[in-house]
Amino acid sequence: MNLFTSSILLTLFMLTTPIMASSTNFYKSNKYQHYVKNMTLLAFIISLIPTTMFIHTNQETLISNWHWITIHTLKLSLSFKMDYFSLMFMPVALFITWSIMEFSIWYMHSDPNINQFFKYLLIFLITMLILTTANNLFQLFIGWEGVGIMSFLLIGWWFGRSDANTAALQAILYNRIGDIGFLLSMTWFLSNMNTWDLQQIFMLDQNSSNIPLMGLTLAAAGKSAQFGLHPWLPSAMEGPTPVSALLHSSTMVVAGIFLLIRFYPLMENNKPVQTMVLSLGALTTLFTAICALTQNDIKKIIAFSTSSQLGLMMVTIGLNQPHLAFLHICTHAFFKAMLFLCSGSIIHNLNNEQDIRKMGGLYKILPFTTTALITGCLALTGMPFLTGFYSKDLIIEAATSSYTNAWALLLTLIATSLTAIYSTRIISLTLLEQPRFPPLMSINETNPLLINPIKRLLIGSIFAGFILSNNMPPMTTPLMTMPLHLKLTALMMTILGFILAFEINTYSKNLKYPHPSNATNFSTLLGYFPTIMHRLPPHLVLTMSQKLATSMLDLTWTEAILPKTTAYIQLKASLLTSNQKGLIKLYFLSFLITMTLTLLSFNYLE
Amino acid sequence: VSLIHINILIAFTISLTGLLIYRSHLISALLCLEGITLSLFILAALTILNSHFTLASMIPIILLVFAAREAAIGLALLVIISNTYGTDYVQNFNLLQC
Repeated sequence: MNLFTSSILLTLFMLTTPIMASSTNFYKSNKYQHYVKNMTLLAFIISLIPTTMFIHTNQETLISNWHWITIHTLKLSLSFKMDYFSLMFMPVALFITWSIMEFSIWYMHSDPNINQFFKYLLIFLITMLILTTANNLFQLFIGWEGVGIMSFLLIGWWFGRSDANTAALQAILYNRIGDIGFLLSMTWFLSNMNTWDLQQIFMLDQNSSNIPLMGLTLAAAGKSAQFGLHPWLPSAMEGPTPVSALLHSSTMVVAGIFLLIRFYPLMENNKPVQTMVLSLGALTTLFTAICALTQNDIKKIIAFSTSSQLGLMMVTIGLNQPHLAFLHICTHAFFKAMLFLCSGSIIHNLNNEQDIRKMGGLYKILPFTTTALITGCLALTGMPFLTGFYSKDLIIEAATSSYTNAWALLLTLIATSLTAIYSTRIISLTLLEQPRFPPLMSINETNPLLINPIKRLLIGSIFAGFILSNNMPPMTTPLMTMPLHLKLTALMMTILGFILAFEINTYSKNLKYPHPSNATNFSTLLGYFPTIMHRLPPHLVLTMSQKLATSMLDLTWTEAILPKTTAYIQLKASLLTSNQKGLIKLYFLSFLITMTLTLLSFNYLE
Repeated sequence: VSLIHINILIAFTISLTGLLIYRSHLISALLCLEGITLSLFILAALTILNSHFTLASMIPIILLVFAAREAAIGLALLVIISNTYGTDYVQNFNLLQC
């Protein structure tokens, strides 16, 4: 009997306390924000207890407390599964959320609804934790929908701006398409395995698990912005920077990947679905890396970078390495959140300027942000022995030395070098050269509320990879031997990307800006995907439904087929065949005289 | 044969002549049409009841249905004519309008 279950439940309960306090007067005071931040900090510290116990003794727990309902043979209860994945994810998520909350005290300082913002962030965190600790699919779905809703509310935070509302709606729509896949899997599990509990699903050995796994892949594609369902992620940058940092870099978008990781016992026996996930991930990572090359908004570049890394995580799942994907989730969260916080610092200091063509020369002005930005970009590209190295390099190694699809591998490698290219673009356009912003900006980074979160995440970006991979119990046999050229593949691709980017930057930075070529247009307009897909299918579907419902059914079938046709035919026929002059009285009179004469003559002829 | 039959037959003949010879309004023709159907109905009902020909007693009922139908069509035609011409004078019928 140890503190395991108590700590977990305490963590989860502690996070709901500020929400319950929001109905009191305390909610309106200035101290609410610090209260929320401190609660998150305490939750982080307490959640370290079960994690340490897990690392030490590999103790996993299944907490099943409240039996909710039994429908026929389906028993639904409130159950939390604290295993490898959820125990390692909780401290990471809480740490990052704590840093982001401290940052957003500084960033959203002048917002009148700042307390509501913190409440939304907290509700988001709680639903994310529900998602990761869920033991049955119903609870997971509650968390899933919860993060979708909070994403909507937070993206549309500045709801007076029509772009923000459009982006929030777009996020909801794309997530909904993924939810169809999720519901399909839930129904399949319900009808074939009679359960929504993960334990029973993994225990029963089914022959073909194609349908539920494809449904889950669709759900992951919707939530984690894979190709085909990806445009909502760059549009979601309409929300404030803390929202982008929390939702769209670390926690929400990894929910889809997390779902697939949870189902790894099913995935490891199903080769076709693995191949599909691999291809989808490879396509996503390359496509979004291409789109990131020519964007001009710093947040969008980082959003595409997130999308590319999510594709990489999908590739890892497709290689049957769920634990590596999970490691990449945890490490990626650190440096991506830090990149977003640095961009938030730059944006706020330049008076809400987000276009990198109007930034420059911040190298000397914001030294700390510069440090963090460069470190984050290097960690992102997989610089040896920073955080990204421990997960990204392992992924590339596993990819190059496994019996897998060569095309997917090629795409992933190209995307790795593109990562280096757009990282260089960010660094050189925002930090180096001369300033391109208006000169009267008061730029400072002296506020500790800004510095401390970035400092913590910086330390995390440097050391977290090392700490995590040394403390995570290995669940698969790591790859020990490979040829030298395969080992150095990731490094060589990254160095290639850096060299290419620096070369092109150096020789062309003082030339005239050229007219955008076709390739540049393709990349900037996101591959024309939103342009086509947001106009054409809705137009087609709506026109088709209008033609079907109104024109065909209503006007034609119930109105024009019999009644109007009959009337029309009669009219035409009578017009054609009649050559009468309308002398009715004459006709009637002649009829009468004929009748009389006939009757009289027959009477007399008798 | 009997007097009542002849009475009703005379009513029928009067309505028939009224239908075929009318002065100016179309509606009088429709009225006479109603008279024809009414006299036919009474003739049929009386003959059948008199000869206890029970099997054929649905004939008057069917006749009623058709009479109602006829009246409706006639009135519809009247309405259309009055929509296009304004009145129902029969002098209008040889004017070239569709």
